Amino acid sequence: MNTDAIKELLYKIADDQLIIGHRNSEWTGMGPILEEDIAFSSMAQDKIGQSYALYQLLHDLGEDEPDQVAFMRKANQFKNSQLTELPNGEYDYSLLRHFLFDTAESIRFEFLAQSAYSPLALLAKKIQGELRYHTMHANTWIKQLGNANQESILRLQASLDQLFPFALGIFEPSPFENVLIEEKIFVGEKVIMQKWQEQIAKILNATELLIPSFSEPAIYGGRFGHHTEHLTLLLEEMSEVFRIDPTAEW
Amino acid sequence: MYGGGNTFDPITDTKQATEDPQKLQEFEARIERGEKIEPSDWMPDLYRKQLIRMIEQHAHSEIIGALPEGTWITRAPGFKRKLALMAKVQDEVGHAQLLYAAAETLGKSREQMIDDLLEGKSKYSNIFNYPAFTWADACFISWLVDAGAIVNQLANSKGSYGPYCRALERICVEESFHLKYGHHCVIHLATGTDIQRKMMQEALNRWWEPMMHFFGPPDKVSVHTEVLMKWKVKMSSNDQCRNQFLDMYVPKILELGLTIPDPLLRKNPETEQWEYTEPDWEVFKKVINGDGPCNEERLAVRRVAEARGKWVRQALLKPKTEYVTPLA
Amino acid sequence: MNKSLDPRINRLNIDKYPADLTRKVPLDQFGTYEVFTQSKTEQPYQHEGIVHAPSKEMAFIFAKEQFSRRMTCSGLFVVETKNIFVTATTENNINVYHTVSEKFDTTGHLEQYEFFHLLKRGKQHLHVGSIEARNAQEALALAKPAFSEEDPVLNAWIIKTKDILFSSEEDTIIWNTLPDKKFRNASAYKASDKIKAFKESQKSTL
Repeated sequence: MNTDAIKELLYKIADDQLIIGHRNSEWTGMGPILEEDIAFSSMAQDKIGQSYALYQLLHDLGEDEPDQVAFMRKANQFKNSQLTELPNGEYDYSLLRHFLFDTAESIRFEFLAQSAYSPLALLAKKIQGELRYHTMHANTWIKQLGNANQESILRLQASLDQLFPFALGIFEPSPFENVLIEEKIFVGEKVIMQKWQEQIAKILNATELLIPSFSEPAIYGGRFGHHTEHLTLLLEEMSEVFRIDPTAEW
Repeated sequence: MYGGGNTFDPITDTKQATEDPQKLQEFEARIERGEKIEPSDWMPDLYRKQLIRMIEQHAHSEIIGALPEGTWITRAPGFKRKLALMAKVQDEVGHAQLLYAAAETLGKSREQMIDDLLEGKSKYSNIFNYPAFTWADACFISWLVDAGAIVNQLANSKGSYGPYCRALERICVEESFHLKYGHHCVIHLATGTDIQRKMMQEALNRWWEPMMHFFGPPDKVSVHTEVLMKWKVKMSSNDQCRNQFLDMYVPKILELGLTIPDPLLRKNPETEQWEYTEPDWEVFKKVINGDGPCNEERLAVRRVAEARGKWVRQALLKPKTEYVTPLA
Repeated sequence: MNKSLDPRINRLNIDKYPADLTRKVPLDQFGTYEVFTQSKTEQPYQHEGIVHAPSKEMAFIFAKEQFSRRMTCSGLFVVETKNIFVTATTENNINVYHTVSEKFDTTGHLEQYEFFHLLKRGKQHLHVGSIEARNAQEALALAKPAFSEEDPVLNAWIIKTKDILFSSEEDTIIWNTLPDKKFRNASAYKASDKIKAFKESQKSTL
């Protein structure tokens, strides 16, 4: 199997999970409802845990230790989609991102459960339940707020419109797209995007929200290490203590 | 997590005199037998009032207590610490939820309690009004502030009110994770590099006095709480808790080669009691009355969190929902 | 406000928010739902506590993380507090079923009711079974023979099965990775070796 292609695939998924998990963890202790604070934090923990497992797979392929990889790389070495690095904004914004991202993520892992690269297939099967809860959570919230009152509908719509081109950027094709498909490691971004469109449409059509055009230009770059300035700041903050002495045990 | 030094209403005999003596006697006999009081049971007004106040303060302490450690949630070094700190701060929010629910069974709604917190009408543990300057401060809190809280909570979990005991049992199990995690962090800093060690010692120096304040003023100057002791609302005295904490944790601190910033600290072998420099209780009073280093920020953050969440709650509110008191 | 030590708080722009607080209207809050969990498939469902939620579905979402984020869980359900019929709590270890009247109202149509018992003050209510009846009073009377001779039941809750939102069989996978969340448990933080090694090194430097 093409190891470079596998590594590239693992990095982008792991980086996505780490960065969105980090962002979502910022809500801990500041959520809109106590119970939601707890639920959102659990999902952030799941994401960080999933990224750790993926970095561990990379380590098995010869990359550095997970801590070094996560805390010591520069922004341009990260392959996450830009969607995940944007600052949290208000709750509507974080919730909408969670919905758009996790729908894509659960489809991605559904396919990865069939991957010819068995360590990844195993991991995908294992975390299926976590992702089930994440999409259950997102769908329930979007349906509730997307049908509630004028303010919630307007807020969600504005966030949806802003985030949509970034969400389309999740599916930025990788340089190894064809190899991954040929070797049956990964079904490819096009297939994922197709299913994603169907699923988010299904949920959004049950609300008052209008779906932006799927053909609007996507914001790409993340998968190639091009990021907004927010990622640099996020990484500086995340590694502030770790970098005091990266060889120390904390 | 939670400290002593909770404020009780001054107790006057007139309040008790108005209660039905027959019912009061049965109530006290039940407590005497070691049975728990459940929400639907008859209880004296004073019992209800003081419990609401105590559980509410405890709940506020948890939700505010999420903030000092939360200071480092985005900067925890390494995966292991990152996951653990997220889970720990989450637990504090979870504890607040459980405790508000226990207080709700006594007839005060959660929103009222939160309002009272935001308006400064209701207290929370003083220690959370201090800043966490470095990662080591967060480690100190996770270990020793939680250790202090456990001393308190274990005592209270033997109290008389069923819903509070149930919440505390659950909380104590989770706190055992906090304690071990916090200890683990401190061990790594104290036995680590020179920078780490220095960081830890400095945090310890900063937090020692607030930690001594944590259990509340000395018994000899505390409000009389005999009836609350009899009703098993208050389960142990401030000095007992402080002494127990010192017994358990001074040796664990010293074995890590850290020093405690109190030259007078020693255990009197005859009395089995710890002797220490009396912390400045004027400072304690000042901080509890709102003039500590972080009081303003802590409440402002809660207020903003409430304000930012308002549209969410408003949107989901069903006009026909009847709020009924939770059962247990 | 001064700059916070917490970068998250600096991003909140606290000063933008008015300092005055409008007192919430009474009951500016959701109804409550009682939460029950089952730790393993052979165990009875146990009452855990409440969540505040605007609907059953949200209550379920909230309950899952508040009451089953540790240990193991094989099922969970929620029911709105107001839909629970509650008996009195008895005194002096009297079985509550001994106080149940043999006479009951016969209005309503047959539906299933779930039963929960409290056997000791301070403990949780546990699920004991279900019964078909036309109303809660009848359900209680029908259950009387079955529970009269057992350990004294101090308090019973009776809930119409259809008022409960249960976790579905296919959704039980949401608890699959609980055993992997070791970082939430005390057992993951052992460091006695480190202390020992440190003490050794202190000795050798003396």
